[in-house]
Amino acid sequence: MIDPVPVPPPAPLPAPVPRLRGLDFARMTSRSFYLQALFAPERQQGPGFAFALLPALRRLYSGARERGMALARHTGFFGTHPVLSGYVLGVTARLEERRAQGAAIGDAEIESAKRALASPLAALGDPLFWVTLRPLAGLVGILGMALFPLADKVGPDLRVLVCPLLALLTYNAVALNYRVSGVRRGYALADEPAKLLRSLRLASLRGFFERVSAFLFGSLMVLTLWPMTESADPAGLGPAHTASVLAPFALGWIVSALALRRWPGRSVEIALTAALVALVVSTRV
Amino acid sequence: MLSELLRVALLGGILATDRGAGWNLMLGQPLVGACLAGALLNPGQAWELWALRIPLGVGVLLQLLLTDPALPAAQRPRDAATAGVIGASVAILSLERLHPFLSVTTGGILWVLVGTIAGLLAAVAGGWMEATLRARNEVSARRAEELAIEGRLASFEALYWRGVARLFLRGATWSAAATVAGVAAAAVLLPYAARFVTGPRAGLIFAVLLGVAYGSGFHAHVRVFRRGFGWAAMGALAALLVMWRVHGGAP
Repeated sequence: MIDPVPVPPPAPLPAPVPRLRGLDFARMTSRSFYLQALFAPERQQGPGFAFALLPALRRLYSGARERGMALARHTGFFGTHPVLSGYVLGVTARLEERRAQGAAIGDAEIESAKRALASPLAALGDPLFWVTLRPLAGLVGILGMALFPLADKVGPDLRVLVCPLLALLTYNAVALNYRVSGVRRGYALADEPAKLLRSLRLASLRGFFERVSAFLFGSLMVLTLWPMTESADPAGLGPAHTASVLAPFALGWIVSALALRRWPGRSVEIALTAALVALVVSTRV
Repeated sequence: MLSELLRVALLGGILATDRGAGWNLMLGQPLVGACLAGALLNPGQAWELWALRIPLGVGVLLQLLLTDPALPAAQRPRDAATAGVIGASVAILSLERLHPFLSVTTGGILWVLVGTIAGLLAAVAGGWMEATLRARNEVSARRAEELAIEGRLASFEALYWRGVARLFLRGATWSAAATVAGVAAAAVLLPYAARFVTGPRAGLIFAVLLGVAYGSGFHAHVRVFRRGFGWAAMGALAALLVMWRVHGGAP
């Protein structure tokens, strides 16, 4: 009789390699919309960054302590442009993933990668979105008032919906594209931050929007002044009368342009002062 | 008035969250806020034309006046998000209540002026309140870090969501309170000023304010950009040609 060969016990299954999934990217993207809720001068968007990264950390680490330590790494100072924060989130998630998979990536390496991307994104994003695109979108909304005539002179003025809609569409057609694709692109190009930055073409977009903004403002001036000139002299008293009617507008324009050169950012104070002076003058004339 | 204030509060809260929490969908711009407030507070068919046109005027003026071309760190603290809502709400609610004292024929422009001035004052006062909010955020941020180190992720998330709720509530209460204060101030001041309020006077102040707003717009859209003046001139020329063609001659 042959002795049965002893069967070796089955080898333990290797621990599953933690990997991020599409759902995690979607959750990070949606949370990046709340990046600044705890904004404070000391840490700026730090707590918000940690909050947005949390779905990835939950996937990558097991155990409350390990997850907590990973989260605490990201609650310190962080500052970038909120619309472009997804790219930094993607890069950081990729590095955290590699670390969770066993790669020798230290805290300092993750922090330096974050900062290396966050600072140029802030430097390029602020002038593009805050200084150029947001005012441009507002301008497009205002132009809607001049371009769309009243549908019915006694009915509801639908421009009250058209103008904000134009502004919202102009801004979000550009900004939402960056927001939605940011995390995935950052994750995919985590090893090539320079390529990632170049691919965004932020500087060239800014130049384009600056030119559009100036062009549209010039158009708005004409579209405003034309009907004002038309209605200034219904009795046909001549150009001198038209000029006298338009003089307060021109005076306000010149005073504002000169005063803002001297005191930039003081448009509210200038407007209130001008209104007060006009009130006093109107009671004397 | 209560249901109107609730609508103002809801809108103000949403817009403050857009600006403060980081949605940044452009909802918190004065033009958008003022127009949405106009649509929400529409007092009915009898006032429909004015109730929709006045917020548009308030929104346009505030949008031009509150657009600061400086980088955010260099800007003065202004609450532009709720300014549009407050300005338009004060104008519409005052229009409804004070029309027996001030005729609507001068009212169109007059209420735009009232709303714009209310919006400007609200932007400045709202900016002052940012400092207290940020100090509160700093305390929450420190607590958030402690919770993270302790591994209490659910508490961390709850703390963060409370921060979002705080932004909403702050915007909502500020919008409602400032609207009530604005309407009350208008109810006290305007009946006394009724005999001074004439069409030409309101028109003069409006024209000056419009000029200031366009000067501010010129600063934000043309002067700060390289070769901005040349592009603005081209835009003006293009619009002039189109208008000439459409209207068949000089204005």
